[in-house]
Amino acid sequence: MVPASHRTQTHFLIDIAKRVFEGLLTAWIAVTLTFFALRAATGDPVSSLLSQGLATVEQAQALRTALGLDQPLTIQYLDFIAGLFKGDLGLSLYTSQPVDQIILQQLPSTAELALSGLISGVLLGFFLGTTAAWKRDHWTGKLASSLSGLSTSVPVAFIAILALLLVGMLGQQTTGNLNFLGYSGLLPALVLGITTAGPIAKVIESGLIESLQSEYIHAAMARGYQKDLRLLWHALRPALPPVVSLSALEAAYLFSGTVVTETVFSRPGLGRLLLRSILEGDFPIAQGLVVVAAIFYTLSHLGADLIAMLLDPRLRDTT
Amino acid sequence: MNKAGCTFKPPILLILAALLLGGCAAQADPHRKLIYGLTLSPSGIDPHINASAELGIPLRSVYDTLIFLDPVTGEFVPGLATAWSISEDGKRYTFELRDDVVFHDATPFDAAAVKANIDYVLNADHHSQKAAALLGPITSVDVIAPDVVVFNLEEPFAPLLDSLSQVYLGMASPQALERWGASEYQFHQVGTGPYRFVEYIPNDRILLERFDGYDWATEIYREPHAGYREIEFRFFEDLATRAIALESGNVDILGEIPPMDAQRLSSSGEFSMHPVPIPGQPLQYLFNTKNEPTDDVRVRTALIHAVDRQMIVETVFMSTSPVALGPLSAEGFGHLLSTNQLAYDLTSAQELMREAGWIADQEGVLRDKDNTAMELTIIAPSWGSNPDVAQLVKVAWEALGAEVTLQIAPGFGPLREAQASGNYHAIGINFFGTDPDILRPMFTSTGLYNWSGYANNELDNSLRLAAQSSLDPVQRQRLYQKSIEHITTQALVLPIRDYVNLVIADNDIAGLRYSAPGWFPLLIELKPTS
Amino acid sequence: MTGRITIIISSFWVVAVILLAIFGPLAAPADPFSPVGEPLLSPLEHGPMGTDALGRDLWSRILYGARQSLSAALLATTLTVSIGTTLGLIAVLYTSWLGGIILTLANAALAIPGLLLAMLFVAAMGPGYLTVILAIGLGGAPGFIRLSRSIFAQIADEGYVDVARALGAGKLRIARNHILLNAQGPLLSLATTHFAWAFMGITTLTFLGLAGDPSIPEWGVIMNSGRAFLIDAPWLAVVPGALISLTILAVHHLGLELTDRFRPRG
Repeated sequence: MVPASHRTQTHFLIDIAKRVFEGLLTAWIAVTLTFFALRAATGDPVSSLLSQGLATVEQAQALRTALGLDQPLTIQYLDFIAGLFKGDLGLSLYTSQPVDQIILQQLPSTAELALSGLISGVLLGFFLGTTAAWKRDHWTGKLASSLSGLSTSVPVAFIAILALLLVGMLGQQTTGNLNFLGYSGLLPALVLGITTAGPIAKVIESGLIESLQSEYIHAAMARGYQKDLRLLWHALRPALPPVVSLSALEAAYLFSGTVVTETVFSRPGLGRLLLRSILEGDFPIAQGLVVVAAIFYTLSHLGADLIAMLLDPRLRDTT
Repeated sequence: MNKAGCTFKPPILLILAALLLGGCAAQADPHRKLIYGLTLSPSGIDPHINASAELGIPLRSVYDTLIFLDPVTGEFVPGLATAWSISEDGKRYTFELRDDVVFHDATPFDAAAVKANIDYVLNADHHSQKAAALLGPITSVDVIAPDVVVFNLEEPFAPLLDSLSQVYLGMASPQALERWGASEYQFHQVGTGPYRFVEYIPNDRILLERFDGYDWATEIYREPHAGYREIEFRFFEDLATRAIALESGNVDILGEIPPMDAQRLSSSGEFSMHPVPIPGQPLQYLFNTKNEPTDDVRVRTALIHAVDRQMIVETVFMSTSPVALGPLSAEGFGHLLSTNQLAYDLTSAQELMREAGWIADQEGVLRDKDNTAMELTIIAPSWGSNPDVAQLVKVAWEALGAEVTLQIAPGFGPLREAQASGNYHAIGINFFGTDPDILRPMFTSTGLYNWSGYANNELDNSLRLAAQSSLDPVQRQRLYQKSIEHITTQALVLPIRDYVNLVIADNDIAGLRYSAPGWFPLLIELKPTS
Repeated sequence: MTGRITIIISSFWVVAVILLAIFGPLAAPADPFSPVGEPLLSPLEHGPMGTDALGRDLWSRILYGARQSLSAALLATTLTVSIGTTLGLIAVLYTSWLGGIILTLANAALAIPGLLLAMLFVAAMGPGYLTVILAIGLGGAPGFIRLSRSIFAQIADEGYVDVARALGAGKLRIARNHILLNAQGPLLSLATTHFAWAFMGITTLTFLGLAGDPSIPEWGVIMNSGRAFLIDAPWLAVVPGALISLTILAVHHLGLELTDRFRPRG
């Protein structure tokens, strides 16, 4: 017989392995869908280049060979997958630069934006969520609750416009240098943060309300505990695991937000790159970006699951 | 109040701290580094290969050219070549070169370097989009002596000197060209100009550093050692954010500012406005003469008469740029244009349509004898004010009774693709340049940009002869006047406005001046005011 | 959850926007495509909202825009709901391999955020107004499949479906008479919530210029073109932006209320 504790551990490992496998499967299917959706719809991109007079027939043939477009679709697909493992995402149609290189060039800027967006979103979410629950019967709590609702419903584009308007107005009012507002740095991050804060605030709010109503807290209050920081911390703890996994998921969704923010604030990055490649019809770049997003999403989903399992002992036992 | 109130302060404090930290990091010594804004992010920035005008803004100061075009006098002056001569038959150009010039990578500049540059441009594998065309019918380059080089042409080519004064034929270090090859050279450019190329991160920035050993400055640089130590170029593609970027101190000089913003900024006392006229073609639409109904010159003329160009210029450009007079701008080419412009005249437009067989029905829709309604498609590029102008042209033609579809092409690639499909009646395209030869690719029957599909022997001949009249400027001028008249009477193009680049510069910067082609600043002359 | 007043205001707003979409163009004082005067007139100079950068009457463009934006989101939602419920229902009825494939594919597609998925479709089909509608319709489908499947599954688990099956009812009949009939309420709330997402998606994509023609009077397009005049004429971007936000907010609240009301018992 296997000892009980050992069995739980084995279960836990099997669980992890299972989720990793699921994650990889999801990523693979998403990548495959992307490949076929784009390839089927765009046909032979070289013929359109040829029609633009960018290449002669011989050059077009050479380009087709270079891009592997003269192969049957299944071979192209296998090549694409094989390339993925080597980090090779193909070549841009317009500049012939490797797509992975182009993406890597733009990645730091977007990573910085998304990370600072996520951090400010989590901070703001905590602030709104705890206020909404803690001061539930006070007008500040009601305000915080509706603000977090607002943050999920107002499009990023509009928040960005309002932020830009604010900077513009300030720029007109003052003669000083407004660089400190970080028009292309901090401000876009705050805009992203505002849109991220809503869901996080809602999770914290409901989690906190639930634990504030729990017998444990009631008992503590009855024993004369002040409604203070220490109590808040105790009440907040059970609400944390879902926030962690939500934040990881939000991180993946931030990518859609960066498309708008980077455009409105004229900031370089993956979002603008995606928009540009779509508008110009440079499909290898668009494909590469979606693949990267899908893999990133799957990984952060997996990461969130694993963290939640580690944080919450109850989850470990369920299969 | 209970103590819980203070729980909520830390996040606010953190955000404030972040704000302040951001502020400290962003502020640097204003006299060392200048930030210059670009308004388009080119797909590539090798001037020998790519065609964008934007790349010249930084790179004009990285490269010297064999000769320069003086922006004040309009004369050609010595650059890397000290003197030049043209043979009797116009097919042989001899250049004497400076012998004291070294590239930024310490490679010496000589006749072999010139040959290497021209060979690089003409190499078919490099797909040069502009530089190769600028060289025209060139066949070979001969190295006669280390400081003498000869260009051999198949036939006379009048625009050659103008071509050689352009950044697209700037002299690059042959060693760097060899080392990096056409795919990588754009990231490692080496010239002999007043600024050294440091780095290029696509869509992000281009960085230049002052080259202190610059001892061979052309005479057009008044102060070849004055400039800022570093100049960083950032991209502000979005029209809407440009003024705000200036006001918030994120950029010091920025062009293509929307007129309303430009006026506001220049009246604020912090900025100065520099309207820079750009020689070349105006913002214009080419009519497709291959599709009905624009194959009929009467229909084309009617469509021109139907557009109130004055109103468009007032609405979109707030009269900051002049109404265009023809297929070339008044700036630089005024002597070639007749002032007899095609005016806004709805009555004659309707009259011409009737003559062409298009009668307005009771709803005002133009119909031909088969009762088919007139359908027109406009293709306009997405950059600058093109979409705004196109919308107003659409409205004007709809008012005349046509059914109009507007298609916006986002970028040059999609524009060419849309053009290649042939499904259009008017398409927005124009080129900039200081030589009237820019008309040739657009209006000769075999021209690369003959997007109107027009083919006429007489026009072909006069444009070709004009390009060959290198030794007879008077004859050349006459031929261009004739060609422009032909283009105007045939109503091949609807010209809207001459380009004027509204540049806004921080008042802390002095010495802003532009080279002859308009777009490119003489960066080395920029300096702090105090 | 949501207060009574919020629901009343939200319903009022949604009805108002629907009325605008239906009757707005009839009431519009001017053609939304043609200039009526000087560009960038303020609301004080040219009522009630001034003119845009090309001298067109902003109020008329907003009125036409209500119809454009609302019908686009409605079309996209209809597409999503039809694909989503059909596939979701199939996944419940054919629990064997077919249902498994549908669910696995939907889950995998969910690895790409909806808006990104929509942009992928635009990349494949090329920018255009119809493309945007289709893309948002398709981009929302994977999520809807999963959510509708879980509703159907819950109903299917309830006893009487088993009874019907035992009585020899065919799958189609079970689907129609039992599952779909009982799922109407929850589906309605799901569709309402989804409509808010579709509305946000459509206006975001048109804002990004993916609709092609900038003369279309659509709220996202109007907001985008107003952006260039943020300092001199802020209302050009703020008015459509606020209308979009308020509409999403109102629909979102109604969705929450419906979800509360149709929350499956037990």
